Amino acid sequence: MAGMAASSRLDSGAIPRRPLFRTGRRQLAAVVIALAVLAVVGYLSLAYGSVNLTPTEVWRGLTEDSDSFARSVVWQIRYPRLLDGMIVGAALAVSGNLLQGVTRNPLADPTILGITAAAGLASATAIVINPQVPQWGIAMACVGGGLLGAGVLFVIAWRGAVSPVRLALAGVALSAFFGAAVVGLLSSSRTFLQTSLGFLAGGLYGSEWTDLRAGLPYVVPAFGAALLLGGRLNALALGDEVAAGLGVLTDRTRLFILGVCGVLTGVAVSMAGLVSFVGLVCPHLARFSVGNDNRYMIPVSALYGAVLVAAADLVARLVIEPSEIPMGIITAGVGAPFLLYQVKFRG
Amino acid sequence: MKLTIRDLALGYGGRPAVDGVSFEIGGGEMVAIVGPNGSGKSTLLRGMSRLQKPERGQVLLGETDIRSMSPRAVARQLAILPQSPDGGLDLTVRELAWRGRYPHQGILQRARRVDFEAVEWALEAADVEYLSERGLASLSGGERQRAWIALALAQQPRVLLLDEPTTFLDIQHQLEVMRLLRRLNREGMTVVVVLHDLVLAGRFADRVIALRQGRIEFDGAPREVLLPEALERVFGVPMMVLSDPETGLPVPLPRGMRHEQRAVSNEQ
Repeated sequence: MAGMAASSRLDSGAIPRRPLFRTGRRQLAAVVIALAVLAVVGYLSLAYGSVNLTPTEVWRGLTEDSDSFARSVVWQIRYPRLLDGMIVGAALAVSGNLLQGVTRNPLADPTILGITAAAGLASATAIVINPQVPQWGIAMACVGGGLLGAGVLFVIAWRGAVSPVRLALAGVALSAFFGAAVVGLLSSSRTFLQTSLGFLAGGLYGSEWTDLRAGLPYVVPAFGAALLLGGRLNALALGDEVAAGLGVLTDRTRLFILGVCGVLTGVAVSMAGLVSFVGLVCPHLARFSVGNDNRYMIPVSALYGAVLVAAADLVARLVIEPSEIPMGIITAGVGAPFLLYQVKFRG
Repeated sequence: MKLTIRDLALGYGGRPAVDGVSFEIGGGEMVAIVGPNGSGKSTLLRGMSRLQKPERGQVLLGETDIRSMSPRAVARQLAILPQSPDGGLDLTVRELAWRGRYPHQGILQRARRVDFEAVEWALEAADVEYLSERGLASLSGGERQRAWIALALAQQPRVLLLDEPTTFLDIQHQLEVMRLLRRLNREGMTVVVVLHDLVLAGRFADRVIALRQGRIEFDGAPREVLLPEALERVFGVPMMVLSDPETGLPVPLPRGMRHEQRAVSNEQ
């Protein structure tokens, strides 16, 4: 048997010197730095804003259940907002990573492919139908909308083999359609123009624990699934025929991955509206840090997404203090030049 | 490992591309499948590997129907290399070979010693060890083809199916790939290869199966089946078969046409 010949030859000394996965120092350093940045951003997010708190006040606000002013600022406002931002960023980044892998297209992301807009449309519809809709209802609607957008994308672009071009065109059409429907819906109802701007541009204004509680039941299993999909994504990257030859059920896997993207994107939209470019940028940064293996890229994308959105939200809150700008403007400000760079030098 | 094809029919609706084909491939055989374009060669290969669901019939790997096995279980024993795969251009050769371990690895499992050994063996067997840190995109056609073969070998298959692995390669690289396949075959691997080049089929295969319109036209040792009349029936052009003066192996050629001969004599 061929394999036997292999092991006998290898036992005589030709054992690999160099491991496959490039988890060298540089890669580890990238992750450690990201975690350090996250810690700093996290602290600044808790301490600074319309009122600035001392480190002691931040600590007490986090740990002591009291009626103090610091407690209400840190625990009721800033901490849940920080956590929401991290989840939004991680969800969008992982969604983008899965989409780029499954479409074999480095420009794929939930916004570009219309999944964000589909979730946004579901959210806007829910609010128009019932302005008093509770957050769990919005989360459910957004996840449903995300799944719907992902499903439409699958049906349009995947009956038969799909080219990246066809997929991108379908995504552009979908996002234009859903996006127009969102704006139409928001502008025809006069009840909440104030918040709708924040929703359209993407922002975490007014985040609360209820947003987190409403999103967690969806986002936790979706993250879990995403972490297990790396191996399949690695196989799919080689093309359908090769992946099938390696034992991946390609159509079923793609449908499942798109479903996970729909859920993750839906949760992000339910918390922060239409945040763009996070899903595009983070997977590229992750690939740059840890290489092409999706089993490593996916968790690192999540980390980078959390850092990016938390940092963007911090900037958005502080830049025109005491007011704030929608956080999505910051991510777009970072992401759009990045997209242009991709198109110019890689695309 | 034995591969048994029983009354296999494959198609996408309408006229089946493969129409009730039966044959058996014994362990350790090297089989070439030949036939004109659209005769069902690639479809047959897909059907033999669980890439395409048959409309009827069975493929048995050993004694087991491959449809009753999990796709990963099939992939641990049988590897298929499709025609000109286009993915993986951002990977190094070694990273590509590692992806062949997918069917052997658990979902959260770290790489084990057997995985390292299989990859190193595959890189060596496919003669791409010296290229292992190079990016796939930077390789020539022949090198790239051998890198893809390394991916298939990393699966440690007992049966290897290849769809036109020599297409787009120059003569030297064609021979390299075919010699590699024959070496693997001599080491015990069952090899089934779809070929357009009848000369390569006659030279390297133990057995040639010819398809025409989804049915087997002939099947046997090259010397016995690569005959002018049989080839004419399959390919629809007048053929002759020379004998290689050094090896005695059959060398099929299309017969020259009168006007082509005249062109040659005019040049002289």
